[in-house]
Amino acid sequence: MNRFNTHIIPVEFEYHEPRTIREALELLARWGEDAKILAGGTDLLVQMKMRRVEPKCVINIKRIPELDYIREGPAGVRIGAATRLRRLERSGAIKRLFPALHRAIGWMASVQVRNMATIGGNLCNASPAADTAPPLMVYGARVKLASVSGERTLPLEDFFTGPGQTAMRPGEMLTEIWIPRQPEGTGSAFIKVARTAMDLAKVNVAVALTLKGWSAFNVRIALGSVAPTPMRAREAEAALEGRPPTEGLLRRVGDIASEEIRPITDVRSTAEYRREVTKVIVADALRKALGMVRVGGGVG
Amino acid sequence: MSAGGRFRFVGVRVGRKDGVLKATGRATYAYDVWLPGMLYGRILKSPYAHAEVRVDATEAERLGAVVLTPRDVPDVLFNPRLVSVEEDTFKDWRVLTEHPRYVGEPVAAVAAASEEAAQRALEAIKLEPVRVYKPLLDPFEATRPGSPAIHERIMRGGAWVNVEDNVACTLEYSEGDVDRALSEADVVVERRFHTNRRYHLQPEPKVAVSRPDPDGGVTVWTTTQTIHNTKILISQVFGIPQSKVRVKKVFLGGGFGSSIHTNLVTLVAVALSRKARRPVKIALTREEDMMHDHVSFEMYLRIRAGARRNGRLSGAEFENVMDVGAHQIQPYPLLGTALGWFVSLYKWRAIRYFGRAVYTNKVPSCALRGYGNPQVTWAVETVVDELAEELGVDPVEFRLKNYVGKGDLFWGQGPTVKSIIRSDGVPELMRRGAELIGWRNRPRPGEQTGRYRRGIGVARGFHTSGAGGPLSGSVIDYSGAFLKVNEDGSVDYVTALQDHGGGTLDAHAKIIAEELCIPLEKVNVVWSDSSTTVYDVCTHASRGVYVGGEAARRAAREVKRKILEYAVRILNVAVGPEALRVRYDEELGDAVIYVEGSDAQTTLSEVARTAWQRNWGSISASVSFRATAAPPSFTAYFVEVEVDTETGRVRPVRVVAGADIGKVINPELAEGQVQGGFVMGWGWAVLEDTPYNPETGALENMGFITDYKAPTAGDIPPIEDFRVIFADTYEPTGPFGAKGIGEAASNPVAAAVANAIYDAIGIRFYELPITPERILRALRERERASGENPPRRRGVA
Ligand SMILES: Cc1cc2nc3c(=O)[nH]c(=O)nc-3n(C[C@H](O)[C@H](O)[C@H](O)COP(=O)(O)OP(=O)(O)OC[C@H]3O[C@@H](n4cnc5c(N)ncnc54)[C@H](O)[C@@H]3O)c2cc1C
Repeated sequence: MNRFNTHIIPVEFEYHEPRTIREALELLARWGEDAKILAGGTDLLVQMKMRRVEPKCVINIKRIPELDYIREGPAGVRIGAATRLRRLERSGAIKRLFPALHRAIGWMASVQVRNMATIGGNLCNASPAADTAPPLMVYGARVKLASVSGERTLPLEDFFTGPGQTAMRPGEMLTEIWIPRQPEGTGSAFIKVARTAMDLAKVNVAVALTLKGWSAFNVRIALGSVAPTPMRAREAEAALEGRPPTEGLLRRVGDIASEEIRPITDVRSTAEYRREVTKVIVADALRKALGMVRVGGGVG
Repeated sequence: MSAGGRFRFVGVRVGRKDGVLKATGRATYAYDVWLPGMLYGRILKSPYAHAEVRVDATEAERLGAVVLTPRDVPDVLFNPRLVSVEEDTFKDWRVLTEHPRYVGEPVAAVAAASEEAAQRALEAIKLEPVRVYKPLLDPFEATRPGSPAIHERIMRGGAWVNVEDNVACTLEYSEGDVDRALSEADVVVERRFHTNRRYHLQPEPKVAVSRPDPDGGVTVWTTTQTIHNTKILISQVFGIPQSKVRVKKVFLGGGFGSSIHTNLVTLVAVALSRKARRPVKIALTREEDMMHDHVSFEMYLRIRAGARRNGRLSGAEFENVMDVGAHQIQPYPLLGTALGWFVSLYKWRAIRYFGRAVYTNKVPSCALRGYGNPQVTWAVETVVDELAEELGVDPVEFRLKNYVGKGDLFWGQGPTVKSIIRSDGVPELMRRGAELIGWRNRPRPGEQTGRYRRGIGVARGFHTSGAGGPLSGSVIDYSGAFLKVNEDGSVDYVTALQDHGGGTLDAHAKIIAEELCIPLEKVNVVWSDSSTTVYDVCTHASRGVYVGGEAARRAAREVKRKILEYAVRILNVAVGPEALRVRYDEELGDAVIYVEGSDAQTTLSEVARTAWQRNWGSISASVSFRATAAPPSFTAYFVEVEVDTETGRVRPVRVVAGADIGKVINPELAEGQVQGGFVMGWGWAVLEDTPYNPETGALENMGFITDYKAPTAGDIPPIEDFRVIFADTYEPTGPFGAKGIGEAASNPVAAAVANAIYDAIGIRFYELPITPERILRALRERERASGENPPRRRGVA
């Protein structure tokens, strides 16, 4: 307790501002686990002030132009890891193609924070409550990791390994998020339950589904803040897959999702409440997603 | 005064005097004070909830820091808040202690050339636990025989008293035959309530800068609601004559009671600076601020109240157990005021009261916007609602029939502070509010089905304007003002009274301008200190405008009398000062002094210039003023909420807030007080609490406001759906008819919200905050109990 002093960062560290990915990776290779990447700093600085992390070297990646972009291509959209949330929120492509992600970002923090915070930071911080994780998971996003020895990509789902833990290896950093275009007739939605309008989620959920005829396909449901990592509710998805989304079925899907989660009681809420509310908001989100497809006229 | 009784400034919307300073960042807060040679201090907080410790500071000293240990501070017990008379003041605090009684209690302190160096030195101090006690976090457990004693002996005034069973102090009172009244009542309701323990979350965390002076005294810049009581306490603790303790006024970033007392940080800074022989600044971080020395009083209340079929209350029992935390910040007067809040809401006719303040190993409690009033009002307004329902009478009418109003004896601030109510806008507020919200067509409890259910709740309340009265009582309350006319007719106003940021001193300036008929720009509010002002007790109890403003008005009146005497000399046609009239001339920007039916006239600037040029002397007045009443400012809230019965979430939909604050001096700022009062009350009703870890006795959130959630702009109704109405009243004892506002604005909010939730879903909650978790659990329990199926959902697709 006497070690916190949030007026200052009570730790000494070296500070670097590389201008290229290459330079950043070299620094990472040199410093290994003693280095921390600084993007918007809206998570990192809080943790440094709380002495949860005490890096010996801080590498600011916000001066690297090649990490800040939104590129729409035929197969999907590529986003640089250091792209600010505010920029994503204002992007027409994100709003049009990935409404659940757009909604999630607009609901995060405040304008001031969103002007600093990056999407890569939200993912790499790997909070079970990270708001961009569930929507990116339901859209089937992939992440690109780079190190001095090369690049690899993996599905976002495999990226989270525990609270604050990711599949990134020492010397690696996240450079890009890729989100595939969704098929015609896809609807998606995001809902968050929190204590106030500016808060981390007690529970958040994103869903996406594609309506063909009367039935739902490609059903994806991802939840946050209800398990050690953001998670897919696969049994719930399977219960809806290929079936007509009747009111009764949507409620059953919510109930199944609520059985799949592994919530805990913490300062934000109780395990019991998280279970109850998961039932409700999973069904709500599915209804909303269906409403979007119908409004969008993407179904016959 | 203005011609025809029309006011020039009072009640008129004008820009804030300090607006530009604040908007451009040039207002100086304690944190902005920097002095040559200044060191930065840090306080070592106890990690133990209750322990005896040994401090080893060798290493910190080796790092070059000035270290202050419990052995370096005066062995003096004190109560950080001076408001009761000495013989009713309980003292159990020390500046630093080797026997910390809550997590966060200051044990030692360091000062060094930078915050970083001070931090390193702080971390180098070793705390060795000699004895660790089990933390007592519940007042009922604390009073159980065999629980560790949190304090063995404390002082009351100058005498030692033993503490039994961790009971800090008690108060009992009765009037009439309650047992008979309740046995003869047609309906009786008995309920137990438990409030939350809230943090003030005032915008500015506490700061103190202390400079040791060559005369052996100190000069202090600090976050305080009272520069004089801070001066007195420093003098008492350190044995420095009061004439050598100078407490400077600086801008204050909100108070809400968090600096109603002299925060420990101030005393630690004084001690450190005296040891270092250098100025020292200590600024608490937000996290430290929360665990240092203030949260609201957590109360366990029991009310048993009866009423007759004729719609009249007949008697009530009221029990109040307060968990005051590890030290006393005046819970004793609160035992009295809690009773005062209770008896001054309604005519119970017969009452019996039992009040008890209990020590626990938690952050000490102090006043928080209402000094127990929101807590008591929540309980009373719930019980009153229930009684009305049992009797089958309209809750608004039931309240109007039983409330304490005009002509009634009022003792809001407790049994020793009584006066008669002279202005009362309650009927107007209740009737207009009911109409505006659509009270008659409101839903009835439990009648609605469907997922989203709306409800309208009503609650009323009041707060005193100060704690004055015709008798001296056991509470200190008086103010003062000094006013002088400059040689060009502008005036300097010197007051000790603090403006927390709500615009209190703007109101004073208006009052002075109004009385002297001069433009507002000509009134300069001086940044003064405790040595250049006369005593003012504190800006608390919504007394800033009512008491302080009246002191300012009296000083202005006195100055005006002297101006007229000089004017007689200049005009030399008038028979005497009584023959003169004064009016404000907008074109001249001056007060014009004239004789009715004659051309003879002069101006204030002419008078001031002449008095100077002809050696007549300065025009000034110094006033010390005690109000002989503490009139209630009444408020009435009608709140509409919507409850999502599937998630338990509740949202405020519409608010009609009525306030009777007498003549409204600052309409915009008064409205802002009401809106802010609602937002704060809303947070208390549904969000805020400071839970403790049962093992460690530490705050669960360790002070981090990431996990102390207060409402944001996104959580309250849009301003179009928030209607503020002011009653058309005039308080004869107040300056230009004014009363206070600060606390009345939030006192009934939690009650109105709780009643609205009941109206929506038919469930009452007796524990705050009413979180979605609690609502959902209660709904599910009710479903289970009635074997009812969950209500059918309506699709939103
Ligand atoms: C007031 C406030 C409100 C908030 N509200 C929300 C909210 O509603 N929802 C929510 O989800 N979050 C919220 N947050 C948390 C935070 O703002 C987000 O997680 C944000 O997206 C973090 O991004 P950043 O760029 O600031 O990350 P940083 O703090 O810079 O970094 C976070 C972590 O990721 C690592 N990192 C960053 N970029 C990379 C990279 N490219 N490669 C490898 N590692 C990297 C850093 O080393 C660090 O460990 C809030 C924070 C604050 C202060």
